[in-house]
Amino acid sequence: MTILAELPTPAPTRAAAPVARPSFAARIRRAAPPYLYLAPALVLLVVWTYRPLAQAVRLSFHTWNLLPTSPITEVGLANYERLLSTPDLGASVWRTVLMVLGILPFSLVIPVVVGLVAARVRGRIYQAMIFAPMLVAPVAAAAVWQWLLDPGAGAVNRVLGVRANWLHDTDLALLTIIVVTGWHIVGFAVLVVSAGLSGINPDYADAAAMDGASRGRITRWITLPLLSPTMAFLVLMTVLLSAQWTFPLIDTLTQGGPSDATTNIYYLLWDYGFHSYDAGLGAAAGVIFFVGFGLIAVGVVALSDRVSHHDD
Amino acid sequence: MFRAGSSGTVQIRPVSAIQVEKLTQRFGAVAAVDDVWLDIADGEFMVLLGPSGCGKSTLLRMIAGLLPPTEGRVLIDGVDVTHAPPQGRDLAMVFQSYALYPHLSVARNIGFPLRARDMPKRAIEAKVADVAAALDLAALLDRRPRELSGGQRQRVALGRALVRDPGAFLMDEPLSNLDAKLRAGTRAELSALHDRLGATFVYVTHDQIEAMTMATRIALLNNGRLEQVGTPEQVYDEPASTFVAEFLGTPPMNLLDVTLRSGVATAPGVTVRLDLPDRDLILGVRPEHLQLTTGDEAMLRGHVTRVENLGSEEVAICAVGAATVRVRARRPIGPRAGDTVALRADRFHLHLFHPETGRRLVPLTHQEISCVS
Repeated sequence: MTILAELPTPAPTRAAAPVARPSFAARIRRAAPPYLYLAPALVLLVVWTYRPLAQAVRLSFHTWNLLPTSPITEVGLANYERLLSTPDLGASVWRTVLMVLGILPFSLVIPVVVGLVAARVRGRIYQAMIFAPMLVAPVAAAAVWQWLLDPGAGAVNRVLGVRANWLHDTDLALLTIIVVTGWHIVGFAVLVVSAGLSGINPDYADAAAMDGASRGRITRWITLPLLSPTMAFLVLMTVLLSAQWTFPLIDTLTQGGPSDATTNIYYLLWDYGFHSYDAGLGAAAGVIFFVGFGLIAVGVVALSDRVSHHDD
Repeated sequence: MFRAGSSGTVQIRPVSAIQVEKLTQRFGAVAAVDDVWLDIADGEFMVLLGPSGCGKSTLLRMIAGLLPPTEGRVLIDGVDVTHAPPQGRDLAMVFQSYALYPHLSVARNIGFPLRARDMPKRAIEAKVADVAAALDLAALLDRRPRELSGGQRQRVALGRALVRDPGAFLMDEPLSNLDAKLRAGTRAELSALHDRLGATFVYVTHDQIEAMTMATRIALLNNGRLEQVGTPEQVYDEPASTFVAEFLGTPPMNLLDVTLRSGVATAPGVTVRLDLPDRDLILGVRPEHLQLTTGDEAMLRGHVTRVENLGSEEVAICAVGAATVRVRARRPIGPRAGDTVALRADRFHLHLFHPETGRRLVPLTHQEISCVS
């Protein structure tokens, strides 16, 4: 009788040589390069971001008038108590919220509409044209806007045929700051949307057209959902950075006025620190805004992960 | 044409015939598709075959309406649709990338064409369930495309095309992203699907096996121009040009430049009797049609440089004069590297081509030879 044996699987032909453990110096040499490449960036981050942050936190528990000769006195939580008890903080937060809401049309709605229309147009000239305002320094732009918005001889009033005091009327100043900031960033936002649109595989729109969807439906059902990561990014940028984008314009055009009508949180912080020379109060405001924006950022990122669809 | 519908009722299935007339697509000075005329009958499985960049996908996109042609017309069932948008052509397309909408579930992907046609939600769900059951996707309906394997994505793309009973199916290399084993299985499934539906398929591929196994007819394209249109048997057995002869077959047809004088075609190592007038020509013979011989009937003489083992068969690579000739036969083929060989083939397995144009030469009468244009 024949006996059947199972064919063995291929076995190693040679015994594996024992691996010698490299010396400590050799291991350091091998592991070091990535850290060395990172070092310059890390040093800059520490010097310009983390150290000032730590100093601001420390300063928020002290009182100091910014004079190098005057003492820095520890006051515990007094700065925070003072900050939270003034109505200024709440009012400036509310105005910041209004600015964010006012800028969103410029940073999201108009760019998406322009981007969708422009995607059907060839050429890059229009992008350069619409991006141009971003290249103008905010302070230089502010000087020109001040001239354009002049209540007497300004071009804006003449074109609109009104006699509005755009910058010094409490009802108009905030709107003016929003519109000028919007004008400034809309080109950047259009560029971001264009980049987002060009990142969407054109096969999806082709497939939807083959499937019988009209152009409007392709935009609503396919393009906009796939653009959602870009839109979430723009919302995040607007929420986190509106207060910064408006700051140079507020500082040059209205100085927070008239009667605080354009004082947002950063202008308030600046006002405490560098107009009232109350470094402790300014630092406390800075710490609160830092923590607040940190929480908002986490929330918006989590939300955008939930609602946005990534094209893989 | 009729087919039993899912609900048991008999539905009229629209089947489209597609005609392409003088279709041309130029990108700048380059003609990606150049003066293509093609009649695709209803119910046909037409494969557009050719190497990368031959214009086959461009031709398909023009039929689909995704790319307006520079010149020429597209007719569907006799109606000129050259300037109609894709939405108005009643064609379904499976993309090479599948183009599954990444933000929609499998069910919503498959149901998309029906939603675009404003079909009631309940009816969409029923139809999607039907198609999903037929394609073995029922368990995956709630998944997103990124959670699917390549084969599953391919089936979803097919489902999205099937769900609305289109006049014709356009497929752009739908199997190229699958692994070899899955591809072989899917080929058979697609053929079965075509037989079952009786619909018109226009299928783009660069894979000769897909073309040979599935097509009812093959249109071979090269540099934007049609080389040959015919059944798989016709294009393989009677290639219309050296391009077709070399594109089909593994290994491809052996082609030898020969000089025909006094009824004998000669080249270094080549002596073939041909009862034809004197002229230069290209002699073609498929590797599987060459046989080893010893006698005087040898047509080719040379030596083996290499033998390749394909498992069931072997290919002997031979040097005949300056030319390389491949012979394919069951393993073991016999001679080994270095051995001299004499080869013969049956007369009806010899192909003749024009030395300049590469077009096939066919005898018009007993002794006349002419160039087929």
